[in-house]
Amino acid sequence: MTATTVPALTRPNRNPLAAVVARAGADGLVTAVLVPVGAVLAALLLGAVLIVSEGENPLAVYWEVVRGVLWEPRGLSNTATAATPLVLIGLGYAVAYRAKVFTIGGEGQYLVGAVASTAWVTAAGVRDLPGPVLVVTGIVVAVVAGALWSGLAGWLGVRFGASIVISSLMLVYVADALLQWAVRDGIRDPESFIPASRQIGDATLPTIPRLDTHLGFLLAVVLVPVVGVLVARHRGGYRIDALGFNRSALDANEVDSRRIVLLVMLVAGAFAGLAGFTETAGVNGRLGAEASVGFGWQAIIVALVGRLQPVGVLLAGLGLAGLTIGFEVSQRTYDLPSSLVGVITALIVVFVVVGDALAVRGREGR
Amino acid sequence: MDVLLQFSTLEAAIRLAIPVALAALGALVCERAGVLNLGLEGQMLAGALAGYAAAEATGSPWLGLLAGIVVGLLTGLVLSVLLVTLRANQVVTGIAFTLLAVSATTYVFQLQYSIGGVTPRVNRIGMWSLAVLVLVAVAVLWFVLERTRFGLTVTAVGEAPAAVDALGYRVDRLRWSALAICGGLAGLGGAALVCGPLGLFIEGVTGGRGWVALALVVFAGWRPFPAVAGALLFGLSDAVQLRLQGTATSIPYEVFLALPYVVTLVALVLRARSSRAPAALGVPYVRGAL
Amino acid sequence: MTASVVTEIDADRASSASPAPGPADRGEALVRMVDIRRSFGATVALDGVELSLRSGEIHALLGANGAGKTTLMRILAGLDRPDEGTVEVFGRTITRFDPGALRRAGVALVQQHFTLVPTLTASENLVLARPTGQVLPSRRQARERLDELAGRFGLAVRDDVPAGRLSVGEQQRLELLRALDADARILLLDEPTAVLTDQEAEVLLRVCRGLAAEGRALAIITHRLAEVFAGCDRVTVLREGREVVSDAPVVERSRADLATAMIGAESSGTFTDRAERGGPSGGPRLRVEGLRLGRLAGIDLEVGSGEVLGIAGVDGNGQAELEAALSGRSVPEAGGVLLDGAPVPVGDPRARRAKGFAYVPSDRYQWGLIRAMDLADNLELGRVPVWRARRKVRRERARPDLAAWDVRTAGPQARAGTLSGGNAQKLVLARELDGEPHAVLACYPTRGLDPGASDAVSRRLVGCAEAGAAVLWIGAELDELLAVADRIVVLAAGRVTGTFLPPYDRERIGLAMAGETVAGETVAGGGEDAP
Repeated sequence: MTATTVPALTRPNRNPLAAVVARAGADGLVTAVLVPVGAVLAALLLGAVLIVSEGENPLAVYWEVVRGVLWEPRGLSNTATAATPLVLIGLGYAVAYRAKVFTIGGEGQYLVGAVASTAWVTAAGVRDLPGPVLVVTGIVVAVVAGALWSGLAGWLGVRFGASIVISSLMLVYVADALLQWAVRDGIRDPESFIPASRQIGDATLPTIPRLDTHLGFLLAVVLVPVVGVLVARHRGGYRIDALGFNRSALDANEVDSRRIVLLVMLVAGAFAGLAGFTETAGVNGRLGAEASVGFGWQAIIVALVGRLQPVGVLLAGLGLAGLTIGFEVSQRTYDLPSSLVGVITALIVVFVVVGDALAVRGREGR
Repeated sequence: MDVLLQFSTLEAAIRLAIPVALAALGALVCERAGVLNLGLEGQMLAGALAGYAAAEATGSPWLGLLAGIVVGLLTGLVLSVLLVTLRANQVVTGIAFTLLAVSATTYVFQLQYSIGGVTPRVNRIGMWSLAVLVLVAVAVLWFVLERTRFGLTVTAVGEAPAAVDALGYRVDRLRWSALAICGGLAGLGGAALVCGPLGLFIEGVTGGRGWVALALVVFAGWRPFPAVAGALLFGLSDAVQLRLQGTATSIPYEVFLALPYVVTLVALVLRARSSRAPAALGVPYVRGAL
Repeated sequence: MTASVVTEIDADRASSASPAPGPADRGEALVRMVDIRRSFGATVALDGVELSLRSGEIHALLGANGAGKTTLMRILAGLDRPDEGTVEVFGRTITRFDPGALRRAGVALVQQHFTLVPTLTASENLVLARPTGQVLPSRRQARERLDELAGRFGLAVRDDVPAGRLSVGEQQRLELLRALDADARILLLDEPTAVLTDQEAEVLLRVCRGLAAEGRALAIITHRLAEVFAGCDRVTVLREGREVVSDAPVVERSRADLATAMIGAESSGTFTDRAERGGPSGGPRLRVEGLRLGRLAGIDLEVGSGEVLGIAGVDGNGQAELEAALSGRSVPEAGGVLLDGAPVPVGDPRARRAKGFAYVPSDRYQWGLIRAMDLADNLELGRVPVWRARRKVRRERARPDLAAWDVRTAGPQARAGTLSGGNAQKLVLARELDGEPHAVLACYPTRGLDPGASDAVSRRLVGCAEAGAAVLWIGAELDELLAVADRIVVLAAGRVTGTFLPPYDRERIGLAMAGETVAGETVAGGGEDAP
């Protein structure tokens, strides 16, 4: 009864269009492209309604956003700079979420990475080292610190069964306290009136000529294909996906799944920590009490809208950054609250979630 | 350590515990029914803003509390559509909802108040009235969960939804109700925060209390009275932190800034292995998918 | 609509309120299902089935796996709806297929997977099932009600532990009590004896007879012919969704008659060439020494090279623990497993595989496959290289393997979740039996497969033994084990209660499965669920 009459291993359909759809998988096409694009459009539409209710013309505002990114001086380079931490943290989240390990502690790992690397590159004796040495060692310190902070939540999860969602989040608040102490006392610049670290001096990331942004952006762009290849072709990537799909099968055939949970937590933390360093050394130049600006939260949106695919994360990160930069420009002309862009991006992710659920329901319904 | 014993510290502890306790009670109902509601922080924020707006408009903080409940209920209904009807991923949806609530409350608040300048304080409800409110809430909730058919079915639906379905109860309807109750309580918690001794709304006023409340539910083993006790423990460490910020001690005050969260984390770890967690927590119910 | 049904039923109930309805009640049809059709996607589960249940009678519903018995019962209980056909209960046509409505109409289904809430006690489960007021009765009242019911029907259940900790037999009795508490006049039991020892099954059948004598209509799903003749009045046999014997009085049928109806006139395809094989060819390869885990109370086993050792027993007597420990998923409390003299690694499946120990899990979708991944990726599970080939290359490489194992699919890019049960199992075998394993742990390898696929799987596994492997086969169907095994060990209550060599004595194996010690082995405690 269960034996289908389909001959073994039939050739794919010859019709070229059908073949394309079959290869991508109609469902894959829906979730990979239609859902995020539809979500962005729906969010922009709702955003337009909000803009109208503020008495402005939404088309004019959106045009100003586009103009602000594409033609305003420094529009593109500002977008690239703003996208850097989002893409980096988003890549880490994407890896973890593929394994269905839902950490939301990126903000804390970012802060810990920033504090640890700043402490290192501004430490007495170290700060006089040559610039390239400082940059490389700073990156290492940030990556390790972020990974350990995230790994702590992972370890509490696999060792004690504590919910990783909540423990990673609690550590965000602890990390913020750590930052407050560091800039007030621990690594404070004695010359400074406000709580802040020393200037990081020679550890400052070099500017990429022509692109007019810091080295961190290049790092993020290079890491996208690196992560992509690892996910698609390395054993670790297979195991991460397997953990997300079927934990017991991974346990029974490949490896203790707890090791993979720890692995993805370390990876997520490493990326967030790295972002902490690139943002301090590439943009701010020193660490202040206000270092927590929410990249760790926005990167969740980037990972989800980017469909947990490295390239998707890059696109989503650039898109979100462009939206932010563009709205900053448009606010010079139009009277809109600064939080509007936050609402629109949050709407995007809500619509993505809804779209995914609807796509699954549609598939089941067939 | 004598700071712990001062009456004013204890008073502050209760004050700080009230919003967390209410939200934790809400989350508890929800999780008993098998729904993991990570939108709790967002629901608190929505309730806080609604409470503030209503209290500011009418001059009555009690109406503020009511507005908090109503808006909380509405957020609960929105979440039930996503989580129960559409069976969306509970973790991702909750996080997305909270992100939206953070931006949306900031947006509305900026539009209504900030642009004009100083935000007015609203009339405040005394701490003890709110404390009584919490006690009433926990008592009622205990009775509902332990002694009524609704409570029994909610608990059962979090453990074995297929079994409850086979008996002819509506799994979706039960989870909808649980989410609505949760939303109402979380909204009330948020409103109690701003209409209580604080009397103010500021952006992100809840400061992660919704997440703490979620952790407390685990700590309390999904039981109402221990959840309130856990909230008090959180309030106490928060109060100590606030006390010590002003005084000169050898310990950096940031340690106390982190203390409530570290305490919550430790509590979470200590209780995580207890097997009381509802078996179907976080799993959408599909009939026939065994 | 529903309200009127309820009134109607209530009136009916009132008329039969006396404990023993008169003989006039006997034979009255309480349920009439006509021309029921139900499809799931392309699979036709029920193809025009009729069923009548009469008061005072026990109706046996017979059929092999996947014949549609459970779907039919689920429809009658309102847990599923027919695509076509009518269902009448107490003369009323059911229009709304809703478990609540049918419960109120007096239909109760005791499913194979019990519907108790494991964290609640017996009396709480009882209260949950009885729609009364919003405020619950006190614990004392609830317990009194439980005791009263238990006493009246002779179905004892403890109330001091959560239902999840009751024995299987007790859980089943509690399910029955819940149905009786709701005053169900139509009782449907889905394979009630599958999890019971023979003695327990006998008691259950006796209780069922008593319930029928009080005027209820009972339907019992089973695949044991003995039960049909031991206590049923009528029998309906389903095969692949069609009725092959309908509503026949049991006395008019013979065992051979029904058996043929169940499996079809053509050869069942059961694999029976054990006699033609040489049997065990070499010394011991796989040794299990003093293995203790959960219910498993310290057992020793030995499987030789070229031998198929069958583990027989009623489900839930330690098989799950044996599988978990042998496969290295769980760390045993004591004892261990040796392959060719070296311990089998625990918690490191790749090391286990590297030693040549293959594992065919009982639940292939949980432990054997990743449904969301394609077939090529599934073939790599457990042996993924550090760097993997490109997707296209991986899929090309998978083709010959899939063809060799006759996995029928649209190609290696298909997801494992789209495979039918038999093809999914062949996919697992293609991976596990690759590279001449030294030992094979096969757990219920033919479960849920049609005869053709089942036969193919059996041949492959026996082929492994012929190539010199030690095959440990945990099975559910005794007939199947009798056909493939060179030796049979019976597990009951976590102990070995008998070891048998061909020619097999079915009766003695049956006794061992019921917990009786056979062939000199000692057993302490006996059945775990002694009343």
